Amino acid sequence: MEHGVAHRSRAPYILRDMSKPLAVLILLLAALSAQTAPVKARGFANAPIVLEVYSDYECPHCKALYEKTLVPLIANYVDKGKVYLIHREFPIPALHPHAVEAACYACAANRVGKYEQACEILFRDQASWAATGKVGDTVCSILTPADAKKVRALAKDPSIVAEVQQDVQAGRLARIESTPTVFLTYRQKQYPIPGAVSYDILRRFIDHFLSN
Amino acid sequence: MRRLPLILRLLLAAVFLYAAYTKLRQPWLLFAMSIDAYQLLPEWAVLALGRTIPWLELALGILLATGIGLRYAATGASVLLAAFFAIMLQAYIKGMGIDCGCFGLGEKISPFTLARDGALLTMSITLAIVTFRARDRRVPVQAIIA
Repeated sequence: MEHGVAHRSRAPYILRDMSKPLAVLILLLAALSAQTAPVKARGFANAPIVLEVYSDYECPHCKALYEKTLVPLIANYVDKGKVYLIHREFPIPALHPHAVEAACYACAANRVGKYEQACEILFRDQASWAATGKVGDTVCSILTPADAKKVRALAKDPSIVAEVQQDVQAGRLARIESTPTVFLTYRQKQYPIPGAVSYDILRRFIDHFLSN
Repeated sequence: MRRLPLILRLLLAAVFLYAAYTKLRQPWLLFAMSIDAYQLLPEWAVLALGRTIPWLELALGILLATGIGLRYAATGASVLLAAFFAIMLQAYIKGMGIDCGCFGLGEKISPFTLARDGALLTMSITLAIVTFRARDRRVPVQAIIA
């Protein structure tokens, strides 16, 4: 996870024109928007396509979407600046008893810059921690002892719980009923994408927009 | 009872035309993604069906609305609705939690969507039977359309 990468990627271009007052104003606005920008995003914020993914770490369909669709999408589109990927938490505790805890650990890992790794291990070892409830041990197994200590403390922090709730609230406003739910935005128009979409079909859809 | 075929075909025509409209006003790949979500078909078949089903629905809607080739339109509608019902039912039993894709996106497969598709299937089969019986009795189809 490249936390705030969008704002860093804009900086060099803007800095070339720092002599202009307008550029300074843009930098100030970018700094302000960084505080309200999605925290678990990857790619370049000025990418032509924005993909917003609501998922639950204990949901098997979310695991399939992440491993089969999002991983190749990140390599071929997100990291190449074509798609801006936003992760949102949408745990469903009624179905998945450890989902909220997993979401908190993922957000906590994000605070130490290890969201991508946490996300990967949570989905990879889903069957294991979902059965044992050892969410913290799973996430911390890929962290350094110092980071693990921080993440364990952060996972119980009210601000992290609030961060998860904020995503859940955003999902409810978007009338999400199940996970995974994906929204693709292109030129201000939002398209709901079926959560179980395969990479090949999604790639064609993205290419269709990019070819415009 | 004499008005039953007329009511059935107009109801079915409205449903097919609306279904076609909701799919054709969006990029066709969105509907292809709905088909893909069922995880039943290879990519080439998903793409082929994603392109053709909305136009097939439009054609069936027009035929049902006008009454042209009613027997075949009713049979075609029954086959299509039976296929939809079967794949929706298997997805629901598997607990896939996907969109049904019936009228665009955003409607999950539920007992309601299954009941609705089942009711439409019953209507189209009834229409097909009535129109074929009318032919067997050598009653002109136009007579039951009017």
